[in-house]
Amino acid sequence: MSGPAPRYSAWSLVRARLAGDGYWRPLWAGRTLQEAYDVVVVGAGGHGLATAFHLARDHGVKRVAVLEKRLVGYGNVGRNTTIVRSNYLLPENHYFYEDSLRRWETLSRDLNYNVMYSPRGVVDLALSDDDMSGNARRGNAMRLAGIDAELLDLAALERYCPELEPRRERRFPIVGALVQRRGGTVRHDAVAWGYARAASALGVDIIEDCEVTGVRTAAGAATGVDTTRGYVKAERIVFATAGHTGMIGAMLGTPLPIETHLLQALASEPIKPLLHTVLVYVFPGHGETYICQSDRGGLVMGGHLDGFPSYTREGRWDRLEEVVEGAIELLPQIAGVKILRQWAGTNDMTMDGSPIIDRLRYDNVFVNAGWCYGGFKTIPASGAACARLVATGTAPDLIRAFRLSRFATGHLLDERGGGPFPVRL
Amino acid sequence: MTALVCPFCGPRHLREFEFHKTVPAPGAGAFARVYERVDSLDVSVEHWQHVGGCRGWLQVRRNPSSGAVLEIHLVGGGGGQ
Repeated sequence: MSGPAPRYSAWSLVRARLAGDGYWRPLWAGRTLQEAYDVVVVGAGGHGLATAFHLARDHGVKRVAVLEKRLVGYGNVGRNTTIVRSNYLLPENHYFYEDSLRRWETLSRDLNYNVMYSPRGVVDLALSDDDMSGNARRGNAMRLAGIDAELLDLAALERYCPELEPRRERRFPIVGALVQRRGGTVRHDAVAWGYARAASALGVDIIEDCEVTGVRTAAGAATGVDTTRGYVKAERIVFATAGHTGMIGAMLGTPLPIETHLLQALASEPIKPLLHTVLVYVFPGHGETYICQSDRGGLVMGGHLDGFPSYTREGRWDRLEEVVEGAIELLPQIAGVKILRQWAGTNDMTMDGSPIIDRLRYDNVFVNAGWCYGGFKTIPASGAACARLVATGTAPDLIRAFRLSRFATGHLLDERGGGPFPVRL
Repeated sequence: MTALVCPFCGPRHLREFEFHKTVPAPGAGAFARVYERVDSLDVSVEHWQHVGGCRGWLQVRRNPSSGAVLEIHLVGGGGGQ
């Protein structure tokens, strides 16, 4: 069967039941690569697919292709810990991430695909008065921008998350928390599939197993890309290649302020409902664990970067131990739970920890990159803003601060205040 | 990659070492040395410090796609001082 999937509704379920086999279609159409496009998007991850979707829906761009080296959703959109939030300190960041969070709230409707947005709250635990001051400062900055944030003392935290037993004696006692209740989780694979389906329905060609190997130029502008399936002419090119953006810089002869690091995650066997929120636990001595429970019951957790450039997608063992130690410190009752699987993704870490959405070397080449370890939560806002930049040639206000030249002009967005090193704490 | 061989201390667990950054290209200016990074799928030349040992500075050549360590030598501190 070919052709795009029918519109999903309660009625479509009934019709599918009555029609029997053969009613459901592939989520996106298998199309062949054309000779020329208005826009070629490189990378069928969250950002690439969202950009293509918005180009077609909001700006009426007719001929759009998304070229993917492997499979739709093979990269970080399928490798993250599914957390969405907008609890950032700097205005340039929190307005942008808040735009994204608002889009998450309605995305299932916009895409006609259930992405399972679950506003279960994101809790940043504080282990000292100093942590609480930091949380208060960030929370206040968010509230001034109209974003929900709530500082919880021990009693309030106990009411919000009783399963944590915040008052229990711990090596590093918990003193309070900052919670963003609208933060939570989204089913990550559904995001890739939902955007791919919606973009395909609007006529976007999604071409898998098609690696871009070079960019051809003439008279100071890009004219197209060489791929493993031949040359494709393109009026405009967008690179949304996440952890391989450094390669794009090398391809175009433009070194980038990006280093590629691994970030690991792991999931346990499914257990009965235990944890109803997302806990973020940064403990003294370089450790971090964030943990939530998926709808299937598995505990999903992650921590710090591995700490050095790598494309292995394997992950270092001692980091895994550290993440698990933190999880057991938080929730001792999970100590006997088995880890089901562990994986890693490649992260394009910029030198200030904030993203880059801008032109790259040529007037008609764009890069949507540098998402560090926070790319998943920004997919809807990034796709909309990047599409507008590509379609109109002008960056919307929301992403003006994410220009590449900020590193040279000194307008860094260093949320962490850590200097030009992605991993130093 | 679970260990590095420090030229002064011998083989030690990876957690004793701290990655600093990739070594800038020869002739790189101040901006490039601070902000830009040399990215390669095949060979990455990096500065690391053996912070949990001799504190020597190491130049490490690695293959970031396979994790193989190709070469390590001391470039400062450690056994030299």
